[in-house]
Amino acid sequence: MSGLEEWARARAPELLARAEEEAVAALRQALIEATVGGRPAAPKPAPSREPRRDQAEGHALWAYAVTRAGQALSGAPAGVDPGAPVERIVHGGLAVLASRVPLAEFGEDPLRENLNRLDWLERVARAHETVLEQALADGPIVPLRLCTIYSNEDGIRTMLDREEEHLTGTLDRLAGRQEWGVKLLLDPDTLARAARERSPEIAGLEEERSGRSGGGAYMIGRKVDRRLAELTHQLATEVAEDVHARLEDCTEDSVLNPPQNRELSGYEGEMLLNGAYLVESSRTEELRDVLTRLEERHSAFGARLELTGPWPPYNFASRLAPA
Amino acid sequence: MEAGSSLTPRRNALPGRPAETNLADILERVLDKGIVIAGDIQINLLDIELLTIKLRILIASVDRAREMGIDWWESDSTLRSSSGPPEVAGGDASDRKRLERENRELRERLERIERQIGVGDQS
Repeated sequence: MSGLEEWARARAPELLARAEEEAVAALRQALIEATVGGRPAAPKPAPSREPRRDQAEGHALWAYAVTRAGQALSGAPAGVDPGAPVERIVHGGLAVLASRVPLAEFGEDPLRENLNRLDWLERVARAHETVLEQALADGPIVPLRLCTIYSNEDGIRTMLDREEEHLTGTLDRLAGRQEWGVKLLLDPDTLARAARERSPEIAGLEEERSGRSGGGAYMIGRKVDRRLAELTHQLATEVAEDVHARLEDCTEDSVLNPPQNRELSGYEGEMLLNGAYLVESSRTEELRDVLTRLEERHSAFGARLELTGPWPPYNFASRLAPA
Repeated sequence: MEAGSSLTPRRNALPGRPAETNLADILERVLDKGIVIAGDIQINLLDIELLTIKLRILIASVDRAREMGIDWWESDSTLRSSSGPPEVAGGDASDRKRLERENRELRERLERIERQIGVGDQS
């Protein structure tokens, strides 16, 4: 939570500037209308889309994940709307975990707005994740993306009829496997130092520079900086490649994701690898051992490896879906 | 597990860090990953509004990484077939991108300077 707050605080000036721009635009529009046509007509309805009749009031069902029909939900997690517990909607060989949500908050238009409120997004994302994690403890699940919402149970049953083969196949392939997250963080200063120490070329250049003065020394200094940046980058790449290659040896599949926003994630150092790995449940200890060894091997570069999981198989569910 | 190692499940997070799961870890998954099945209420998470949030959350670090020339996740699909990941180091494509960006930045600087000293194209 604090990460997001800090991040939001850091973004405040930008948001204020944008709000100011919007206010100026609105004011300008109002002035034009006042000048041209006297009083503006009735205030424009904000969205041109008509809200659906049945959405003005009432409830819908927020879906979290698909499981096998026989897989009970051992806990009773709260849903994204704290007042409504998660229920199982069983249909054929499958079940959907879902909870009731008020349309006033989760209908199409309010949802669109709420998704852009960071505190709301954080609360809902965490609640969604918590439900998935509890379900994962009971067996394989297919995680659904945030905001998969149905009007009622019939909508969910129709979806299950349509997707049954696909979902069943995916659950079969996910059984006995876990998604783990691995991040490689390197300390840039330690890395640069290591790159410098390993390079006879840099040592040679430094020596050459020490024998000169003025413009000559400056030019060589520039060359040293440039070359050192290249070597540091090269070394970082080698470490990242090594880590990823070892992990691939003991995992079934992998997905490489972009490094995370530093302000939001709170990490120190450079995130050079942000990967998700699919692991046989029986091999998680091996994964841990491999990571411990890798961290030792690359400790001279200030390498830190972080393991998170097991996660709901967000990164692999669609990759494992039958074609 | 030795003390201070980061190889601990996220529930027992690093010493000195909140035990709560990292929000960045959650958002990158729930917003971008997971099976997409059409619901009755159509919210396309690629809608422009949410996209701005996603970009702000995800891209800040990506820009930083690109500055360092690291952009291998963009060619993720090709990674699977090869032995390792990162064709990071100075691939032709990333070199070209870097040069293009540098070129653009230099042009912009030149234009600013020309404006300041009152020469060059005034348009």
